Amino acid sequence: MLTTMWRDLLGHKGRAVLTLIAVALGVTATVGSWVVSDSIAATLAGEETRKDVGVSVQSPGKEAVLTAADRDRLAATPGVARAEGVIVGRAGLVGRDGKFVRTTTVLDRAGTNWSGGRRFTVEAGRAPAGPGQVALNKPDADKAGLTVGDTIRILLANGRTDTARVTALYTYNRLGPETTQDSDEASDAVPVAAYDTRTAEQLLGKRFHRIELTTAAGASADAVKAAVRKTTPTGYHVETGRALAEAAVRQSDAEAQELRMTMLPFAAVALLVGGFVIANTFTLLVSRRTRQFALLRAVGARRRQVRSAVIAEATVLGLAGGTVGTAAGVALGPSMISVMRPGDDVDFTVSPVAVLLGYGVALLVTVLAAYSSARRAATVPPVAALRTDAIVPREAGRLRILLGAGLVTAGAAMVVATADPSSSNAARIIGLVGTVLGVTGMLLLAPFLAEVVLRPAARLLGARSRPAVRLGLRNAAGDPRRTAGTATAITVGLALVCSFATLSASFSALIASTIRANVPTTTTVLQSAAGGQSSLTRAEAARVGALPGVSQVAGSRDVLAGLTYPGGRTERRISAIEPAGLQGVLTPDITAGSADLTRGVVISRNQADMLGLGLNDEVTLRLDAKTSVTRAVVGIYDATELQASIFLNVADAPESLRRQITTLYASGPDPDKARASITAAFRDRPDVLVGDRETLVRQGVDQQSLAFTLMYAMFGVAILIAVSGVVNTLVLSVMERTREIGVLRAVGASRLLVRRTIRVESIVISLFGALLGVVVGIPAGAVMQHAMFGQRLWDFSIPVGIIALALAGIAVAAVLAAMWPARRAARTDMLTAIACE
Amino acid sequence: MRCMTQTTAAVRAIGLAKRYGPADARVVALAGVDVEFRRAEFTAIMGPSGSGKSTLMHCVAGLDQADEGTVWIGDTEVTGLRDDALTSLRRDRVGFVFQAFNLLPTLTALENITLPFDLAGREPDRATVDKVIAALDLRNRLHHRPSQLSGGQQQRVACARALVTRPEVVFADEPTGALDSTASDELLGFLRRSVDDLGQTVAMVTHEPSAAAFADRVLFLKDGQLVDEVTAPTADGVLERLKSFERTAV
Repeated sequence: MLTTMWRDLLGHKGRAVLTLIAVALGVTATVGSWVVSDSIAATLAGEETRKDVGVSVQSPGKEAVLTAADRDRLAATPGVARAEGVIVGRAGLVGRDGKFVRTTTVLDRAGTNWSGGRRFTVEAGRAPAGPGQVALNKPDADKAGLTVGDTIRILLANGRTDTARVTALYTYNRLGPETTQDSDEASDAVPVAAYDTRTAEQLLGKRFHRIELTTAAGASADAVKAAVRKTTPTGYHVETGRALAEAAVRQSDAEAQELRMTMLPFAAVALLVGGFVIANTFTLLVSRRTRQFALLRAVGARRRQVRSAVIAEATVLGLAGGTVGTAAGVALGPSMISVMRPGDDVDFTVSPVAVLLGYGVALLVTVLAAYSSARRAATVPPVAALRTDAIVPREAGRLRILLGAGLVTAGAAMVVATADPSSSNAARIIGLVGTVLGVTGMLLLAPFLAEVVLRPAARLLGARSRPAVRLGLRNAAGDPRRTAGTATAITVGLALVCSFATLSASFSALIASTIRANVPTTTTVLQSAAGGQSSLTRAEAARVGALPGVSQVAGSRDVLAGLTYPGGRTERRISAIEPAGLQGVLTPDITAGSADLTRGVVISRNQADMLGLGLNDEVTLRLDAKTSVTRAVVGIYDATELQASIFLNVADAPESLRRQITTLYASGPDPDKARASITAAFRDRPDVLVGDRETLVRQGVDQQSLAFTLMYAMFGVAILIAVSGVVNTLVLSVMERTREIGVLRAVGASRLLVRRTIRVESIVISLFGALLGVVVGIPAGAVMQHAMFGQRLWDFSIPVGIIALALAGIAVAAVLAAMWPARRAARTDMLTAIACE
Repeated sequence: MRCMTQTTAAVRAIGLAKRYGPADARVVALAGVDVEFRRAEFTAIMGPSGSGKSTLMHCVAGLDQADEGTVWIGDTEVTGLRDDALTSLRRDRVGFVFQAFNLLPTLTALENITLPFDLAGREPDRATVDKVIAALDLRNRLHHRPSQLSGGQQQRVACARALVTRPEVVFADEPTGALDSTASDELLGFLRRSVDDLGQTVAMVTHEPSAAAFADRVLFLKDGQLVDEVTAPTADGVLERLKSFERTAV
């Protein structure tokens, strides 16, 4: 029995290869994403953090408050051999083209003082030794095209500028967990520019961010820590070097885990689509060999033997596909890394887990996908061997239709029941689950839909079109289950693209409408060009305020704050701003109370609804480690869930927050004049972006679409797999219909006509799948945007561009997918086709 | 024995030769055959298995390429035609009935019958279609799929398809091979009438003497050569003739 199957497999290599490709592509995606996240994780974990520091004393909060006196006092602590102060300050690089160089580390922590110790490893040049000399972080310098010997401009705090020659490029050795933000936790940021200590004191400030203590030989770091702790006020971070190193390891582990968790869902999608393709391929293979199974049964094979034979075939193909896929995944790993982490030095590692995973999913998916086909093969009656007629097209199963319709109804009911924009998180999750049910139901209904859509379409369109179109349509409509089976894989891919595109488009529209609702067109907007968490300072605010024609200036300081409210505790983004700001440069739509920040806080309506807050309710905001303020709600405004949802008087914020201005808003009696004078004043400041509310809109939209681009790329892989399924189906159906095509040719169909027919069939199948994907994806996206942004269900935007692009892409892919099968069909030898078996 | 042609030939082949396989294991299917199918005549081709009768028909009908020789259908030289021209020729001027699997499973009987027009992108001639359908008694089966038809009905649909284009010649390759004797007689009776009433030219390959008895003329093929010919055959006469070949072969 197994020998029969084995011979059969070897005898039909084309068939085996097609299945193999479907298995291998899914496995490639899985193994690829696993090795990539593994390698990045291993590299993160393997990064050396410094071990030379015994104890580190770090300023509390974001403010550098440690002084030279503190350093000398700490140096005198028993067991301390040496104490070194680390200066951290604002520094931004201007590139050769005069444009601002974007770096990962936030501006306010990008400058530091040079140290001869282990903090810096010199990669090129010599350490900076005096004014006019600076060392740069090598990755940042490489990105900006700067090298040793270049003279560059560095933007400092309070609008000052320094010009210096690059004397060295370094790599930085961190002490403890890494941060790119102005964090008040015990952490270290990679500085972009380093001056010698004396110059740094002048340019960046005399205060130290932290003081590093080296323990004397024989002294215990723990003892030193205990001694320092006793003499240092609470709030200061006092940690041993070892504890910081351990925290760094924990951080990279968590990061690696997170990376894996974001990568694997994409692999799962690829596998899911691959599963559809494999299942459909097996279905076709089994129906093609009906007579062979019947013969086996007739000569005495038991049902179980037939079933096991098919499963055995699946196992062999799974193993082979697993091997190819694993190899391909491993081979593609390095290039995937270079795309995802350009410029980073990642050690490529392949763990045994990745290989096992590859084989595991290959076997599991293939055998699972083949199982129902195996069962069907076993039920072939022996008498089928005697039939000479063609395989009868299968109709959509009744049970399947009922189940599908039931799931769609249940899903729709769940979504409608939870459609209230202010619904709780639990309700939103129910809505999402309803969406998944509905989509599953639609996939189950696909054969039925193919029947009810394609048959009339074939009749209508077919009546007045060319013979190739008519025949192709009829072929696709003639076997709705085969068509649906193939199309479903495309549907899944496109539904994902469409739902996320809808989410993204709605998100963009939301960003735009939120910004437009709060910021009038007349207001000029200033932000840091460094992006991310980088901010402007009070120097810029003062400068704008002093400009002629500017009468109103307000700066919003956005921060994630702990929120204690009568119903519990949570975290929300808040915005500290001058009270006057809400009555001129910003125009929030107040629906209850007033916008008077001097009396309390102003909160957005949907947040108020979610947290159960009303006017005069008290909330406590924890702004940093030392500062908590309790204020009453004095106003409620109409807004979305996107932006800072609570406005607070800036006078209540701690000093460190007050000087970090996220966005400056300014206007004057003649807004155009005000904007012109601001633009002129900041012409030589590439670190400051001057614009209007549309600048903010564009920036917000760009940022979020970037996040979706990677997602589309990943779903593209899934669609690629689905298209390979179309090739599979077409080739197999061409084989299945050799005699049909032979008859067609004999009664006068030209090769060209046969080729066109197959092409039309491919396009019809693919577009059916794609349109079903669009029909399923857009509502799914609508529910997602409702669940994620608390908008009304129908407040979604249709991503017309992406849908058009996807459909056009699918049409092109369908034509390409048909090329080989169509050639094969056109070459069909009429004589073998019409000869009797 | 050999009659002079009173009618012009619908199909003519001269010196047809066809070989299969590599040089060291060559199988000669046709070894220089000259043949003529006359207009409005029903010709049967008989011979033992492997005598080359199917190959002869395939080559004459333009389904296969002969290695040597020339074939004319009407005044068109078939040998040497390119694929596209050959395709149009098959579509417009030749009809086919095969032993089995004549029909496309996704098309209804009527759609199968009008398929040649469909392929040409032409409107079928209603009157001819109706006449053929009536003659073959398919009126009640037109909207059935092939899988819903009996074997005899399927072959009648195939016949109808072969005839609707009013081709110069209909080639039938063992058309009754898969049918019982009643269905067989019906089908052959119809082919006979198409010759008598419509003036159709029919060439049929068969191995059944009873089928050959419906023809005007029977050609006997052996080892790729035309060896004998009988006009106005009877089933017994044909059987006798066949037996005599087998005896000479032993």
